[in-house]
Amino acid sequence: EPQLYKFRTMRQNLLDASDVLDEQIESFTKIVQQHFQLSPSDFGDPTIQAQNEIYTVGRIVPDSPSSDDFLNTESLALEISRMVGIGRRVRLDLTYVSEGSFFSGQIVALRGTNATGDSFTVSELLHLPYPNSPVSTADELEAYKATLNGSDLKVILTSGPYFSDTSFDMDYLMDFVDRINTKVRPHVLIMFGPFIDVTHPMVAEGTIPHFTNLKTQPNTLDEVFIKVVAPVLKKIDQNIQVILIPSTRDAISKHAAYPQDSLDKKQLQLTKNFKLFTNPATFQLNEVFFGCSNVDAFKDLREITKGGNTSMRNRFDRVSELILQQRRFYPQFPGAIKKLEISPGKSDDKVFEHISGADLEIPYLGLTEMVGDFAPDVIVIPSELQHFTKVVQNVIMINPGKFIKPSGAPGTYAQITISSPNINDGKLTRMSDTEPVYLHNVWKRARIDIVSN
Amino acid sequence: NGIDDLQPLESTIPDVERFKDTANLELACPSCRQKFLFGGIVASNYYSICYNGLQCKKCNHMFTPLQTTCQLERCIRSHISLYYAGWLHCDDPTCGNVTRQISVFGKRCLVENCTGVMGYRYSDKQLYNQLLYFDSLFNCEKNKKQEIKPLYHSGDEQYPKEQLTDSSIKALAEQNRELMNLNRGIVQKYLSDCGRRYVDMGNIFEFMI
Ligand SMILES: [Zn+2]
Ligand SMILES: [Zn+2]
Ligand SMILES: [Zn+2]
Repeated sequence: EPQLYKFRTMRQNLLDASDVLDEQIESFTKIVQQHFQLSPSDFGDPTIQAQNEIYTVGRIVPDSPSSDDFLNTESLALEISRMVGIGRRVRLDLTYVSEGSFFSGQIVALRGTNATGDSFTVSELLHLPYPNSPVSTADELEAYKATLNGSDLKVILTSGPYFSDTSFDMDYLMDFVDRINTKVRPHVLIMFGPFIDVTHPMVAEGTIPHFTNLKTQPNTLDEVFIKVVAPVLKKIDQNIQVILIPSTRDAISKHAAYPQDSLDKKQLQLTKNFKLFTNPATFQLNEVFFGCSNVDAFKDLREITKGGNTSMRNRFDRVSELILQQRRFYPQFPGAIKKLEISPGKSDDKVFEHISGADLEIPYLGLTEMVGDFAPDVIVIPSELQHFTKVVQNVIMINPGKFIKPSGAPGTYAQITISSPNINDGKLTRMSDTEPVYLHNVWKRARIDIVSN
Repeated sequence: NGIDDLQPLESTIPDVERFKDTANLELACPSCRQKFLFGGIVASNYYSICYNGLQCKKCNHMFTPLQTTCQLERCIRSHISLYYAGWLHCDDPTCGNVTRQISVFGKRCLVENCTGVMGYRYSDKQLYNQLLYFDSLFNCEKNKKQEIKPLYHSGDEQYPKEQLTDSSIKALAEQNRELMNLNRGIVQKYLSDCGRRYVDMGNIFEFMI
């Protein structure tokens, strides 16, 4: 599976991209059909005028191709698949929808009528079903319990940057490693990049300082990692397993697109206890499924909400639900971009310099979907926004927060403590099946602390 | 293996022609913040290549190797990120649709009744050329032969006041070979992951068969 992320970048084909975008609509059509027990004849082409009510599945897009963002519920359109509506788009009339949340790239299922031919009047926004939760057998759970001798599983999560905007000072990281080794002693430490942020202001200005403790200075950013960062990371106790997940802003990754290949352990000169994972990555620590994705979906996903109940809810709750419903760790399309206004000089036109973005490799977005259509037990999506932990639809959602604030003020990390699985303590749900399997109910067994550095 | 040594056919195009639309490499002096365009071992009013590296003419600051490589790397990455922003444009000049929206029929223009064909505004070929241009700036042989695309033309406001002699360029290229290769290594890091490059090489095999 990680092999699939080893594609070469910088060679995106528009037709491959549109295949994937079409496929997303098609696959949700099947999910909706099955979940709501509809027959294919209940579905129609919403771009064509008709008096009868139909069901339809499509992608939320702005009603004009030139507007990258839409600003309100009056400027939304629905894009239909090639098969159903030869890829046409139709404006949405949401007058009769009382509650809802929409964003660019979202796949939605609707019931409604196109009576006039120029817009589709929605009578119902269907709630997309949440993906299932993973299960384990009694034998598997017993084995996991035995590996920990019945004690709690302890996992620490950190997210870069690991330096402030004005220094390459390693003190915080050194203190942290010291605390991890002597006090916290987790089983696993999951560290998200960027480790060396290629958009760091001191990289842009070329003002990275002389490292006084080094005999030979690093000549490249890769060497800054090897000579400055790696020696600190290598002080982490060998009994603690460390997982590194890159960011597309990581200078030490040559694969600058999402989905992103893992970092190169040999090249970075890391030790045996380091595991280098892709971005995103889904993996198991004992029975617990982790879904980790390092593109800031919480910041980038720009919703249009309708209805008082929807807008009154906590935004992180809403966005978490949308991510689960869309079954992708970064459902926004087009992905966000960050640009900087350059002093315009004589001209009145604003000139922008492109800085960074979600850097989506669209033909490979399939690799960013939730694996096997299961929702992980724990989803970690680091964000620039305020750290948080939420339980949404029985999934634990975590943003550990930045390790260091841009100002140099201490940031945060997350600590997860999960009690050992016990089929007799009533915390696991037995599913009636021929072979008995159990829901992990990690949300009932876990305690999450956001800790200040 | 022999495959990596093969050069794509397109490299027979002279650099001046091939790189005519590429963006320049802008560096900032870490000391006085002066920004200038870097064009290889050539004459410039803003910087000079000395026997031991790159020097700012405004404040005489000598760049450390990292002070150049990190800016080069950041510049390459912002080009790659701009490529991945996925801006498309319509090839019908009367339409002018520029967007990041992609139809499920990728090449179809989303402007009503337009029959134009959409394509990436920053194509993978352009990005590949951009990387090759950065590579050429730090290529000692190309510098010695003075084959680098010129930054300025005579008459330009910033056209260098003094020129470098052929022999001093050759000497400076040798004296700075390590530094040049260091920067070239940064470009090669990304060229090694660049899918376009392998397409070029694939074409050679088609041609040979
Ligand atoms: Zn200077
Ligand atoms: Zn640039
Ligand atoms: Zn057009």
